[in-house]
Amino acid sequence: MLRIESLSITLGEFSVRDVSLEIRSDEYFIILGPTGAGKTVLLETIAGIYTPYAGKIFLDNMEITAREPRERNIGMVYQDYMLFPHLTVEENIAFGLRQKKVPADEQRDRVQEMHDLMEIGHLAKRYPGTLSGGEQQRVALARALVLRPEILLLDEPMSALDGRTRDKMRRELARIRKVTGTTIVQITHHFDDVFALADRIAIMREGRIVQVGETSEVFLHPVDTFVAEFLGISNIIRGRSVREGNIARIAPARGPAFTAASSVTGDVVATLHAEDVILSKAPFESSARNCLPGTVTEIVPSGSTVRVVLDAGFPLTALLTRESCRDLDLKQGSEVYATFKATAIHVMPVNDRE
Amino acid sequence: MRKISLALTLILFLVISGMLLGLLFYSPLSTLLASLASPEIRFAILLSLITSVVSTLICIAIAVPVAWALARYQFFGKRIATIVLTLPLTLPPLVAGIALLLFFGTTPWGKALDSAGFAVIFTPLGIIVAEVFVNLPYMVRIMRSTFAAINPRFEHVAKTLGCNETGAFFRVSLPMARHGLIAGTVITWSKAMGEFGAVLMLAGATTMRTETLPIALYLNISTGDVDLAIAAATILILISLVALCTVEYLDRDVNVF
Repeated sequence: MLRIESLSITLGEFSVRDVSLEIRSDEYFIILGPTGAGKTVLLETIAGIYTPYAGKIFLDNMEITAREPRERNIGMVYQDYMLFPHLTVEENIAFGLRQKKVPADEQRDRVQEMHDLMEIGHLAKRYPGTLSGGEQQRVALARALVLRPEILLLDEPMSALDGRTRDKMRRELARIRKVTGTTIVQITHHFDDVFALADRIAIMREGRIVQVGETSEVFLHPVDTFVAEFLGISNIIRGRSVREGNIARIAPARGPAFTAASSVTGDVVATLHAEDVILSKAPFESSARNCLPGTVTEIVPSGSTVRVVLDAGFPLTALLTRESCRDLDLKQGSEVYATFKATAIHVMPVNDRE
Repeated sequence: MRKISLALTLILFLVISGMLLGLLFYSPLSTLLASLASPEIRFAILLSLITSVVSTLICIAIAVPVAWALARYQFFGKRIATIVLTLPLTLPPLVAGIALLLFFGTTPWGKALDSAGFAVIFTPLGIIVAEVFVNLPYMVRIMRSTFAAINPRFEHVAKTLGCNETGAFFRVSLPMARHGLIAGTVITWSKAMGEFGAVLMLAGATTMRTETLPIALYLNISTGDVDLAIAAATILILISLVALCTVEYLDRDVNVF
């Protein structure tokens, strides 16, 4: 288990401020945040590259804050892999073993083990400069994993790969994690990584962790508008919430009021995922508490889905399959009804910095 | 524009190669060989080789750590240090030579060194000192830009793989800087072979004592012994050619100047 207590460090324009985190053993933990949020510095401080000016780091209840990187048993893979260009693939992988003075025959066995795990045996004698991005990535992982680290830190490991290689690598990481049982902490910009891999995620902003939690929990219940916007939640509606029995009635600044299953009152921000909005040609009776009429203002295809933006008094986005969009014969100006459940709406009080 | 610039390039090429070839073929081959075999030129070659190799090694030993500090660490006065350390780069070697002469000849420091057996003025040792002083900045500059071009994350990774700071430097950064190191070494060595002004000032121009190749060239042309002067010049041209070819070959990933 990795425990971080009130960690603070400043490095030029990047800083980490008062970060506390607990990452469980065998967990796949992903850190998200905009560029410049201090994610890499946090990772490098965990690895021991930089010494924090405040705070403590514990690994399995042993304090390691002052330990050198080589005494931590934490592996690190950067986004550009940083394979040593003057060494062959094999020598790159054996680098750590040689440093740790592992006996030669054991070195050979463990390098071989990595060749098998990462399927890179055929690259052994090549130099990094001659490898593709995906191959370099696998070598970089092998070089870190060969030391059997307790924790593997991945700094945007897939950002330099093309889409297909990235999908493959994602499956690879899931497999590695299963086979080796290594705790993995990864930084990413891709939500696909989050859904495919993460057990829990943390959102960083300006050096601070603003939210930590199970992936689905964070997506459903962002703590503030920053997180909601960062996670790409399409419908973020400001309004005033009034309690009505067990539920809340939210009146946006413009447009009709709607119902949310929440006890938060006062000035609020309501979030609603686009995929939770149903569109229909006519209003229909259902258990869903909200059914608002609206006019289609924009249709944006993306992959197999289509984002349909309505004017329902306030802008409202729905996510449809291409087929649904065609069957409903939606065009700009179409009159439709948007139906969504009160429980699909997450309400948070306005208390953030915006 | 294209025609003019290409024509000028061609003219320049012809002028330079014409001048050098004229020098090489000024005297018949037999005379050139005889001059090269003369005791004076043989002495000059040997002295030049020894002093230039020693001074180059000293330059490497000093410049590599200094360049590393300039490229990697933040410290108070770094900008000033950088300027002062590379000042001799633009300083005329004669001025560097006279500064050295005054330092070793008149200051208590210099006198102490002299009485400790480290006699520099008008000695072969002075040649090495002058060459190191003049060439060190080149080596520092080349190595600094080489190190600065290496992403520090290579060292970070090396540290997570079991290296301490020194280990990361020798196992990763220095091998990655090898092209810069080779280019810097060749440039420093060839400049040391050809160093005249600073050597003349500090070590003097004594025949068969502090007579390096450039000094031999100078002494012999002064006394009208053109053949010996040309023999010295020929070797210096060959050395320049070798140095330039090496640097051109490595130039793809080394920012030399």
